Amino acid sequence: MHRTQPRKVRLQVDDVAFMYEGGTRTHALDGLSLAVHDNEFLAIVGPVGCGKTTFLRIVAGFLTPARGTVLCDGRPVRAPGAERGYVFQEDAVFPWMTVQDNLEFGLRAKGAAPAERHAVAAELIRLIGLRGYERAYPGELSAGMSKMVEVARVLATDPAILLMDEPFGSLDAQTRGQMQDELYRLWEKRLKTVVLVTHDVEEAICLADRVIVFSRRPGRVKAEVTVGLPRPRPLELRLSPEFSAIKRQIWAGLGLAEMS
Amino acid sequence: MVTALCSVRVRRGLVGLLALLALYGLAAHIASGRLPTRVSLAVHEIEGVELLPTYSSLVEEGVFLVQAGILLQGAAVSTGRVLAGLLLGSVVGIALGLAMGWTAGFEYALDPWVVLLRFTPALALLPLYVLWLGLGEAAKIGLIATAVAVVMLQGAYQGVRGIPRVYWDAAAALAAPRSLVLRRIVLPAALPQILASLRIAIALGWVTVIAAELIKPSMPSLGYLLALAGAYPRVPTIVIALAAIALLVLVSDGLTLAAYRWATRWMRRRYA
Repeated sequence: MHRTQPRKVRLQVDDVAFMYEGGTRTHALDGLSLAVHDNEFLAIVGPVGCGKTTFLRIVAGFLTPARGTVLCDGRPVRAPGAERGYVFQEDAVFPWMTVQDNLEFGLRAKGAAPAERHAVAAELIRLIGLRGYERAYPGELSAGMSKMVEVARVLATDPAILLMDEPFGSLDAQTRGQMQDELYRLWEKRLKTVVLVTHDVEEAICLADRVIVFSRRPGRVKAEVTVGLPRPRPLELRLSPEFSAIKRQIWAGLGLAEMS
Repeated sequence: MVTALCSVRVRRGLVGLLALLALYGLAAHIASGRLPTRVSLAVHEIEGVELLPTYSSLVEEGVFLVQAGILLQGAAVSTGRVLAGLLLGSVVGIALGLAMGWTAGFEYALDPWVVLLRFTPALALLPLYVLWLGLGEAAKIGLIATAVAVVMLQGAYQGVRGIPRVYWDAAAALAAPRSLVLRRIVLPAALPQILASLRIAIALGWVTVIAAELIKPSMPSLGYLLALAGAYPRVPTIVIALAAIALLVLVSDGLTLAAYRWATRWMRRRYA
């Protein structure tokens, strides 16, 4: 039950609206407000097209909201920044760079000295268990390993908040389970504030302190469920009545409860 | 590289090449003494022309051209022009292509010119270049550079546009400055496409240099040698000059292919 006590607010989102212009204007988000606390692991679930990814891209600074404010550590978000690490839905490791160069990229961007870059990369390689793969290209890694390199690349610059957009969405169920364990281990060690967008309700419950359910388009907060389960949360926990109860709450938020 | 040279494709290519050379030898042997030796060039009638030279006369001619230094000097001059044109055209073309792919403003400004130039043979500019730059080296190198630049510009532009958006976003999220994005994202990601265009540009460079040298022959060069041999006329000299051009094109293409394979080494190493 540690780390669930809310501390200072890392991310404050107030009354955010976003519209996609085009042939037909699409209201992706409207009147969205939420707060993420320091060292909190927040998961966002919602139906397809509810604006989960749009929300995350606004927080990252890739998109500018039509209305509302986004504050990260009290400062308004206007553009992408290294203090907001982003893990993409797609494969985002640079395939033409070795694992080592990928891990060092963020520090290179910061202008860090080679000695510091090597030290940080070496520590991250050890942390994700990829020793011996420093000179390998991402194409030589499995999809799961490649995703961990991406997560580690983001951690290298020590961001204040980690934004993850369905990071394991393209992996098979077994690899996804392994990756969730890996991610939990990393989170334990590196103490990060995380916002995880996922369509996998069980993934959300396994990893998060709190789960927010988005409504259908335009997306806004429809329900909020605190996951009070003890950590670590092994696979068998998914079979427990407590787990099912939380799942039922989230399903109710998604409007699926009557189907169970 | 060694494995590439021993590959099935290369071996089959060599077999095809040798078979054709053998056939030529046979044809020339059969034809010798049977073909007419009289040709009419405009108002002149010329006697003693070997239309299909045998290998013995080709070897004789080759030895003469090498010993007299004509062939090597000509090859050196033409190669020098191609290299100068390639360097100039590549630098300009790649720079403009990258700028076009990266910045919308450049794209709008340059796109109409690229469309126009793409369908205009560079050789059509020869009269203009000769008037602007004179009959010397500048016009020929400028012409090659123009042909090369148009091809390289398109390669670099497509190379940049082909970079998936997620890599731009990832670099932006890691707060990479533009210089780092250029060196570590744009250039390496566009390099395979750039080098693929370089192969086309090199071939085009050779086409352009020979044509320019044929039209405005000045100092000894392969095109000059061809023009001279055609006017004389001496078919063995023409065949030797053609063989020299083919060899130079083959060597430069091989070098570019090697560079391409080096630049795409990360693509071939796959997770098994």
